[in-house]
Amino acid sequence: MNEHVVSSSLPAAAFILPLAAGALVFIGKPLGRWWWQGLALLASLATAVIGAQMVAAAVRGQVLVTWGNELRVDALSALMVAAISSIAFLATLYSMRYIMMPAVQERVGTEVVQRRLPTFYGLLLWFLGTMLWGCVTNNIIMLYVAVEATTLASGLLVAFYWDRRGLEAGYKYLMLLTIGIIFALFGCVLIYAAAAATKQLVGAQPLLISEVRNVIKFIPRQTALIAVAFLVVGFGTKAGIAPFHPWLPDAHAEAPTPISVLLSGVMIKMAAYALARTVSIFYPSWPQITLFLVALGAFTMVLGILMAVVQDDLKRLLAYSSVSQMGYVVMGIGLGTYLGCYGGLFHLVNHAIYKALLFMCVGSVIYATGARNIHELGGLGKKMPITSACFFVGALAISGFPPLNGFMSKITIYLATAEAGMWWATMIAIFTSVLTLVALVHTAYTVFWGQPRSEKVARAEVREVPASMWVPMAILAAACVVLGIFPQAIYPLLDKAAAVLATLAK
Amino acid sequence: MNAPAQVFNVELIRTLSMVMVITSVGAVEVRNLRFSAMAYSVQALLIVWLLAAFAAGNPALYWWAGTAFVTKAILTPLFLFLYIGKTGDREVRPVIGFGPSVVVAGLLMIGFYRLTHTYVHLLAPSELAQQEVFRTNLAVAFTVFALGIYSVLTRRDAVKTVIGLCLLENAVHLSLVSLAPELRETALFGIATEVVVTVYLLLYVIAGVRKEFGTTDTFKLSELHW
Repeated sequence: MNEHVVSSSLPAAAFILPLAAGALVFIGKPLGRWWWQGLALLASLATAVIGAQMVAAAVRGQVLVTWGNELRVDALSALMVAAISSIAFLATLYSMRYIMMPAVQERVGTEVVQRRLPTFYGLLLWFLGTMLWGCVTNNIIMLYVAVEATTLASGLLVAFYWDRRGLEAGYKYLMLLTIGIIFALFGCVLIYAAAAATKQLVGAQPLLISEVRNVIKFIPRQTALIAVAFLVVGFGTKAGIAPFHPWLPDAHAEAPTPISVLLSGVMIKMAAYALARTVSIFYPSWPQITLFLVALGAFTMVLGILMAVVQDDLKRLLAYSSVSQMGYVVMGIGLGTYLGCYGGLFHLVNHAIYKALLFMCVGSVIYATGARNIHELGGLGKKMPITSACFFVGALAISGFPPLNGFMSKITIYLATAEAGMWWATMIAIFTSVLTLVALVHTAYTVFWGQPRSEKVARAEVREVPASMWVPMAILAAACVVLGIFPQAIYPLLDKAAAVLATLAK
Repeated sequence: MNAPAQVFNVELIRTLSMVMVITSVGAVEVRNLRFSAMAYSVQALLIVWLLAAFAAGNPALYWWAGTAFVTKAILTPLFLFLYIGKTGDREVRPVIGFGPSVVVAGLLMIGFYRLTHTYVHLLAPSELAQQEVFRTNLAVAFTVFALGIYSVLTRRDAVKTVIGLCLLENAVHLSLVSLAPELRETALFGIATEVVVTVYLLLYVIAGVRKEFGTTDTFKLSELHW
């Protein structure tokens, strides 16, 4: 690999900045909304800029390292950092007005929200920081710790409303994810012990993923397969892979919408990244893992969309659709070929964009009407034109409609599975796409066209949402269109990122 | 390769491991939450003692034994007792009763013992780790792991599920020290992967659940379904 290793402080800055900002928010609790929200906005903007710089470095062929080889940002990490930080910035911007929403105030009381706001923004920043830490670290223990830390930071955010539904979701979230991560811990333990036992590595090297990659062929087969199984269960739980997904619909639906945007839009991607990093090092020696991962991806995508189709609650529908789309990502990355990894990673980015968009639109609907069940809604398009247009763009994008971005990444995955000879996977993927189209577009016109279906919505004073909420939506919708028409825009980065993962170059 | 093994006090380590299984069953089974937490505390002390015993051959492990003492043997039981003090100490009736549970635990122990002794080469990559005391440790680790999962699946009381989680963590740590006992980084691995913060947060949320739902019975948490 003709990569150029450069020592830089960017990787460290990427996660230290939001963590420090979060601490400052907590310290500045008495200061007021301007401090908490302003700091959150600034910090997320700064991280987005850092992400952009990392992408520029990666496209130039550089690999950034800090503290020896402890933090290592190659094209794949740069892609993740950029995606996570930009979506986090948009979500923070969106939350400015959302969190002051009247319906929220009614649900829990104004004074309670005021009291909890600094916790919200502080934890949001820590959530962002821990996700970025996971993406820049090269150390297998720190990867585990970072993934666990994201669960901890977001646990209280999921339960934010602290009512029956929020608490139940929070408990299940923390419990199921921690159990899952302990499985991943055992997988990490096995890799570490096996790598150390090969006697090829010295010092702290068994902990560094880039080093372990070099000695994989010396690790006994059964140990490797058992380790992979545990890692898939562990990180797969967090990525929303079936059958470990049950925490996902509850958590994503009951969390405040800006948090749902982050959970569905970026956190599960980061878990998929952790899975890809740790499992892809096994591909060259044991190609049968790819079949297992593709099958798992297929199972996940079908289960997810079938559950989504029958949902009435908008947020649960989107959450199940996230499960389904993560199936695509795992299928793509699981193939291990260049085309498969390219498709999987492209889909990861695309899904982050349009899922964030869709959740924001649903949040706007909740903001305007106070309702989130399809059977209550209808006819919102006239009064909320921007939200309506954005939702349609998102629905068409997620269904893989040309010329939007979803089409580009899905077709790459179809081609990749066909090229690998797994026609059954291609057919399942196309079938799921059709179902997604049905579910999302049907939802779109039910909610935005026609007439309101309930008294509550008919009587509500429905207005378009404030600018701080529709601007992020518009930006994301524009990104869907641009990436769909010019998919080559992202090629330089994705090419290198896919090359990092694609070890079975076919 | 044999020299390091003789530094470890094999008999002590084996005894400690076996007793760990007993304390695990106790922690899972005992209805009175306070006694259950006490059984867990004993197990935490056992694992700290085990780490110290291993440290005879790998001094870096003394650091881990120290931090484990604080997090597993002091903080975790502290959080558990504080919580139990606030919310009462009878467990909600579980799905599977005492008798069958003990049978299950016994079967698991025997099953894993046989499994690890026959197939140890599948898991233990180094010569050292395949020798006697480590094999028993692995068997114990798997048993405790299985008991932890068992607790999470069959106990209705949310606190018992948290205790199950702690058991899972202890099991993985025991397997860590058994698979790579002679490396310095093992200590680092162990210190960094403590779940004490998770336990604290979980108990905090469960306290909220208790307040809202009036009970810690997880079967009653059914607002969200489908």
